[in-house]
Amino acid sequence: MAATALLQTTTTGRVGGPSSTTPSQNAPPTAEQKDKDNMAAAQPQTAEEGKQFVARYSDQQHPLPPSEIQQDPRNKDLGRTSRGLSVRDFELVRTLGTGTFARVWLVRLANPAEEDQEKVYALKVLRKVEVIKLKQVDHVNHERSVLADVAGHPFITTLITSFSDHDSLYMLLDYCPGGEVFSYLRKAKRFDEHTARFYAAEIVLILEFLHESEGVAYRDLKPENLLLDAEGHIKLVDFGFAKRLGNRETYTLCGTPEYLAPEVIQSMGHTTAVDWWALGILIYEFLTGYPPFWNSNPIEIYKQIVSKPVLFPTEPAISPEAKDIIRQFCTVDRSHRLGNISGRAERVKSHPFFRGVYWDDVYYRKYRGPIIPPVRYPGDAQCFDQYPDEKAEREPYDDAMKKQWDDHFKDF
Amino acid sequence: MSGNTFPGRRGTNSNPFSGSTLSGESEQTSLGPISKVMEEEENDTVTSPATASFNFAGKGSSTFGSPFGGDASGQGPPSSFKQSSTDGFPAHYGMGRRTSVSAESLNPTASSNDNWTPPFHRKTPDQITRLKKSIFNNFLFSHLDDEQSSQILGALVEKPIPAKGIKVITQGDQGDFFYVVEKGIFEIYVNPAGSLQPGPDGLGKKVATIEPGGSFGELALMYNAPRAATVMSAEPGCLLWALDRITFRRILMDSTFQRRRLYESFLEEVPLLSTLTKYERSKIADALETQKYPAGTTIIQEGDVGEAFYLLESGEAEVYKKGTPNPVKHYTKGDYFGELALLNDAPRAASVVSKTEVKVATLGKDGFQRLLGPVESIMRRTKYEPGVEVIDPLHKK
Repeated sequence: MAATALLQTTTTGRVGGPSSTTPSQNAPPTAEQKDKDNMAAAQPQTAEEGKQFVARYSDQQHPLPPSEIQQDPRNKDLGRTSRGLSVRDFELVRTLGTGTFARVWLVRLANPAEEDQEKVYALKVLRKVEVIKLKQVDHVNHERSVLADVAGHPFITTLITSFSDHDSLYMLLDYCPGGEVFSYLRKAKRFDEHTARFYAAEIVLILEFLHESEGVAYRDLKPENLLLDAEGHIKLVDFGFAKRLGNRETYTLCGTPEYLAPEVIQSMGHTTAVDWWALGILIYEFLTGYPPFWNSNPIEIYKQIVSKPVLFPTEPAISPEAKDIIRQFCTVDRSHRLGNISGRAERVKSHPFFRGVYWDDVYYRKYRGPIIPPVRYPGDAQCFDQYPDEKAEREPYDDAMKKQWDDHFKDF
Repeated sequence: MSGNTFPGRRGTNSNPFSGSTLSGESEQTSLGPISKVMEEEENDTVTSPATASFNFAGKGSSTFGSPFGGDASGQGPPSSFKQSSTDGFPAHYGMGRRTSVSAESLNPTASSNDNWTPPFHRKTPDQITRLKKSIFNNFLFSHLDDEQSSQILGALVEKPIPAKGIKVITQGDQGDFFYVVEKGIFEIYVNPAGSLQPGPDGLGKKVATIEPGGSFGELALMYNAPRAATVMSAEPGCLLWALDRITFRRILMDSTFQRRRLYESFLEEVPLLSTLTKYERSKIADALETQKYPAGTTIIQEGDVGEAFYLLESGEAEVYKKGTPNPVKHYTKGDYFGELALLNDAPRAASVVSKTEVKVATLGKDGFQRLLGPVESIMRRTKYEPGVEVIDPLHKK
């Protein structure tokens, strides 16, 4: 569980600098590590194995350098399919969030061993019928595979395992008890610059990792998709639009209206550069409380995005450095956009807005979060809004659909 | 509270996140940091300049603090708080969670097996002129190139609306088509309930009329969203042009995809750029700008300072040198010239003149450096083959 795991990192994972927290980079794998590799290859087959694997998860995390996240054997078995697990192995405690075709539950293990009673997780449930109807089959597969690949990054939600049953797909994730940055932002109206800078810095590291180590575009950056862990650090969630691009552009329009980059709106083919645009919008919204382009009619938002410069209000006053980084991110021409130009994320990190930031300290979570969520115990969900119950009637996933579609869901 | 860094206080040698680094000598115990953080957090809300921005009307107490150990039963989630005013906020700004939107995923025809070609519906020159006037000011069409534009014009299909009172789109329904009015008058109705309701007033209020040349339903070209209004014919004998989202997006996607691959394959042929990685080539391909020149245009002039390089996308061009009446070289599709401008500021060694109408893709030295850094360092990866100088007449001797 995130909360306990994080407490452990504060005591064990923070001694000295980056190099001392990690095993020697060039050393050949030890026999023990090799064993783990071999074990990792064997997926949990029975419910009991699956549950044990899930229960073991909480001991595993402390930040690894970005270059080692994929190699580390402890992460290799994360994000795999658990054929034996089913939703009956979990007790659904309450809803944490809902989307167009998904609902995320706070869960704990059903009939847990005594030492596992405190352990809680987030279970994302996707209805196959809805996924198909909304033409999101490709997207949910991207979501699962990207999350599996990035498991272990300190600021990205961890996919522990996935499974499926007749009509649903399940992704078991670490539980992030602090709730959405969105909630804090709306409550506070706006953030001061040091708060905005703290979150922006963690997001810069997420984007650097996704873009430059993984070749992944995230494509849905917004306060609603940023959770806080128990210590107030960012966890990026909802990888429903994340996509591995390689060196190619991609074309499917997706995102959130206020945060869409101009090249997405105009179907020009888009790349990881869309995330830097969105980060500009996000910092603006952090500092002012609302995004720079908005209207109740989405078409009007899009017209503004493609044609209007970002304008700043007189109140609250925004520093020249903040204005500059927002403008540089929100540059229509991608060949001028900060983050997309030479130097990539490194160039972002050296922007005056981040002057004085020690990036290794950001990565290893040595700065204290500006907001410490009021989390009273590991499974405390008071930081999350209440959501209405699921509608009882549900369109059935019938045999014809199963025949046509189930093969598309075989990775779950 | 101590060490909190706000605008105006930043720039001293303090920690940009408020000086609360937890590393080094302030190594913590497992419970220490939480209680410590908590205290400071409470403190923060009292004395910190942040108070202004964390000032929740209706809640006099701390902002994010004090739930630890205390009776938090009365506390809701952070966003349960209702603002008593929206001072400083734009009027009508929706404060709720925003839903994501997504179109169906499409793959470029060239990368899949099907042989999709855009539909073509013949139109008269008059109709074409009217359609161009109607749609090419629209932000969804204004940036299209000639090829895309003519494919879009061809794909628009006639949709007769014979009678009065026919609902072309219905508020709340899924939308797949964009329409341009060729003939007749249409009325727009909006029901505040968000969808068409049964009964005599179910249409809602009439908010506008659309006349020939007008258009509606453009959001459907982006993704499938519920229609925001009902549009109904106001007279018999109306005529619309219709375009569906999949056709629109495929036309744009296929031509962009093909052009990008073309540029990348051109770039692979340029020896000066042979050390570029695939990622870098695709970056350059992304930034190339297309330009068209009529026959007889001097694209680069001998003796000028070179600032951009060119890929010949279509057409033919010839190379002339001063004092030589006949062209010294002939360029066709896929050839490139002027790339040494990326390397130095030497004057152009020859002129390039279009023989036919040509389409070139071009990028300036500025753009190249902005995207990939100094050209020299890229060159240094491996030595630039001197043989190219012989092949390329533009190289300064």
